Amino acid sequence: MSRLRFPSGSISRPIVFNLTLLGLLIAIALFGPMIWRVDPTSISITGRFAAPSQAHPLGQDEFGRDVLSRLIHGGRISLSVAFAAAAIAAVGGSIAGLVGGYLGRFWEFATLRLADVVLAFPPILLALLVASLFGPSVVTLISVLSVLYMPDFARIAYGETLSVKRMEYVEAMQALGAGTLRILFRTLFPNIAGPLLVQFSLTVSHAIIVEAGLSFLGLGIVPPTPSWGLMIRTARSFMEVNPIGLLWPSLCLVLTIFVVNRLCDSLQEAFDPRSSTRGIPFLIGRRRSSETTAPVPLVPAEEKARLAVENLRVQFATRSGTTTAVHDVSIDIKPGEILALVGESGSGKSVTSLSINGLLPAKIARIDNGRILITTRNGEVFDTAHADHKTLRRLRGSEVATVFQEPMTSLNPVYRIGDQIVEAILANRDVGREEAGKIALSMLQKVGMSDPQRRLKQFPHELSGGMRQRALIAQALSCDPSLLIADEPTTALDVTIQAEILQLIKSLQEESCGRMSVLFVTHNLGIVAQIADRVAVMYAGRVVETGPTGQIFAHPRHPYTRRLLECIPRLGEAGGEGRRLVTIPGTVPSSLNGIPGCAFAERCDMVQASCHEAVPPLVEVTSGLHKSRCFFWQSI
Amino acid sequence: MGAYIFRRTLSAVALVLVVCSIVFLALYAVPGDPAVILLSTGGVTPPQSAVDALRVELGLDKPLLLQYFSFLADLLRGDLGTSFSDKSPVIETILARLPRTLELIGAATVIALLIGMPLGIAAARHQGERVDRLFALMASFALSTPVFVIGTVFILVFSKMLNLVPAGGFVPFSQAPMQHLLLLLMPSLAIAVGFAAVVFRMTRATVIGVLTRDWVRTARAKGLSERRVLRRHIVRNALGPVATVVGLQMGSLLGGSVLVEYVFNWPGLSGFLVTAIENRDYPEVRGTVLVVAALFIFLNLLVDLLYMLLDPRVRH
Repeated sequence: MSRLRFPSGSISRPIVFNLTLLGLLIAIALFGPMIWRVDPTSISITGRFAAPSQAHPLGQDEFGRDVLSRLIHGGRISLSVAFAAAAIAAVGGSIAGLVGGYLGRFWEFATLRLADVVLAFPPILLALLVASLFGPSVVTLISVLSVLYMPDFARIAYGETLSVKRMEYVEAMQALGAGTLRILFRTLFPNIAGPLLVQFSLTVSHAIIVEAGLSFLGLGIVPPTPSWGLMIRTARSFMEVNPIGLLWPSLCLVLTIFVVNRLCDSLQEAFDPRSSTRGIPFLIGRRRSSETTAPVPLVPAEEKARLAVENLRVQFATRSGTTTAVHDVSIDIKPGEILALVGESGSGKSVTSLSINGLLPAKIARIDNGRILITTRNGEVFDTAHADHKTLRRLRGSEVATVFQEPMTSLNPVYRIGDQIVEAILANRDVGREEAGKIALSMLQKVGMSDPQRRLKQFPHELSGGMRQRALIAQALSCDPSLLIADEPTTALDVTIQAEILQLIKSLQEESCGRMSVLFVTHNLGIVAQIADRVAVMYAGRVVETGPTGQIFAHPRHPYTRRLLECIPRLGEAGGEGRRLVTIPGTVPSSLNGIPGCAFAERCDMVQASCHEAVPPLVEVTSGLHKSRCFFWQSI
Repeated sequence: MGAYIFRRTLSAVALVLVVCSIVFLALYAVPGDPAVILLSTGGVTPPQSAVDALRVELGLDKPLLLQYFSFLADLLRGDLGTSFSDKSPVIETILARLPRTLELIGAATVIALLIGMPLGIAAARHQGERVDRLFALMASFALSTPVFVIGTVFILVFSKMLNLVPAGGFVPFSQAPMQHLLLLLMPSLAIAVGFAAVVFRMTRATVIGVLTRDWVRTARAKGLSERRVLRRHIVRNALGPVATVVGLQMGSLLGGSVLVEYVFNWPGLSGFLVTAIENRDYPEVRGTVLVVAALFIFLNLLVDLLYMLLDPRVRH
């Protein structure tokens, strides 16, 4: 609790590297004057703008003073002003923020308003005002800079304190009778130390810039004390005679700020790794445009499946290397058919469904093998596993429409519902804006929206989850697709709404008079019986059983399917009182690397030695329709 | 929404009032007699007659509260006092110089947006790739180079060495439009370097955040072109935070432009402030600080309202 916690577990290498560099700079500023003992203020008329010599390695300035010594002393001033100001601001601001956030009431008001007032001035302006009143000096500089940066610390400490305050363990400590001060410093501080540390380095870098700027204006450090800003100021007047004089102080200033900034960035990255520029795994040999085939319509398959996924294999890049998320998956859907793709999270069912219209995250996922054939309404066949962007775009929306799992986040929050549906219609159908608006309205009516005219003008956040899912279904169906992919469309909804949405999809499919096929992706085998004609059960990236819904439910031929069916809670079943909710012990293996046999073997109650040796093939159980990937399907 | 705007505006006005009071009181925060301090130059004690005259001129002989109210009353009439140096009304000088500063900031903002946003979007789309790292490094350097260093180097290279542009100065647009723009170029570019880096970083971070949002996938699934997805469903949603950071940056430039105006001899408001400080011309300093701070608060208010306009969730 008392130690600073880095989320990544250990301090990252960039932090160590940048800290070392900064330490080096500080060491030069601290010990440099003891090693290079030349007086930075000793004047020599004869040495005016003298070139580098043994006694003066970087030459002499307009008064013949030693440039190297002035740079070292300038760095000393710059760093001490910056660190002193940042330290005072950090301590003062954090205390104010902690107290304000923890005690509330008057303290909260005072902290926040004071911060507001200081922040009401553009930073440099406030510094100028104070400098003009008190006269330029190091003390003025440090005090004005610390006041300037205090609000930033106060706000961070305040905000973090508020959020930490409500956490359970703080409340627990209060309940144990720990004193307020003790809680403030022992419990809260480690939690807010991270953001404060980032702010500290940011402040140091700002303070160096402002100090240099004020000195440059002649309102900061007073000559003859050397400062980089002052050196640039004078070098500027002589830049035609001695341009190199401009170089050294500028270089020192920029490099110092750069090192502090990089340290700040690496700290920030450690606390919030999302926006990192490093450490993101990539697939080697990503799909290049030359590998994708042009939209060549292939010869229609004999059976005329709406969708035929053949031997699909999808790989993902992870931090520990490439893993295969989908192995050799083959599924097909005939026109007007509803196929349910069932599996636990991690089974590869969503990856399979995203592959169909090329929506896999391009940077980390790759279709490694197989074909995905889609037969359009006109009988053309496209392979979307190898299609280019243009083809995919043509198929998306108009042939293959998708409804996703999260209705709360799948609509763009900044556009009205109607505009989003109209956008889809205009992208896929040859109609004008007005006509598109009418279609959108009729679609909203069709999906059972109350007051559709008003809904068109509403923003997503004004609708409930169920209503948003209806809007998304309306949008998906607005372009009359031949295949609807419903990727867990009911998972995020209340149970009563789930049933409504399910019924809606079923009835819309029936209304299409057998034209629209549906791929219904779900983890809930219980709802499959209500909607699907056929079922494909996936486990660890493979289809383990597939067949007509009735047969699967009546006679499952894979132990996994059987166990899944046993897990469905049933009301009013015989002996229901004593019946416990059944679960399957164990978890889905996260990676199949190194598992030579059946992926379910670890959790299977009828496992045999041979199950660990080879992957069972998907074999026909009855008449080509019902298949199982189990060596011992006959004994189930 | 109306109530929010009203509340927000009210608190901005209150803040301006507080700032006025602080600026008024600042003179008294300094230990010693303000009149003596204002007249002291280089350690020479001013003659008592001059001190007394100044006290009467500034109304320092009256009670503090009375001084404060007459100061506020003057403010309401738009009277910021008269300059010590040339006895002209301070407000007139400010009104003449303020547009030049705003023009500089405006030009810098446009350049910064034109550079920072496209690069930020590109970096976000190629997160972790070589371009991204290169741009990030460039931004780091840009942010690490103080604006007066950039300005001075610009003058050294483009004016002194290459003789391409004049080293600084100003001509009114009405007199010589081309010359005016030419003189505007270097100072606004100097400001834009760091500004663009700020815009770049914010754009990159926000776009990265938006790229993986569910509605972007929905937009692709609808069959929209990649360009439209980018423009309407990614960049549009990233505008709020970018607009905020641009507004804040513009605000801090109201003070920060002082360095550039000084380097390029651009006769804007903040250059005026430096001269006023050097001359210890208190009415000029006070007036400028007040106007700039009020503008700054107003700009922050505008940023808040703009953010609201960009995000319907906040709007309601």
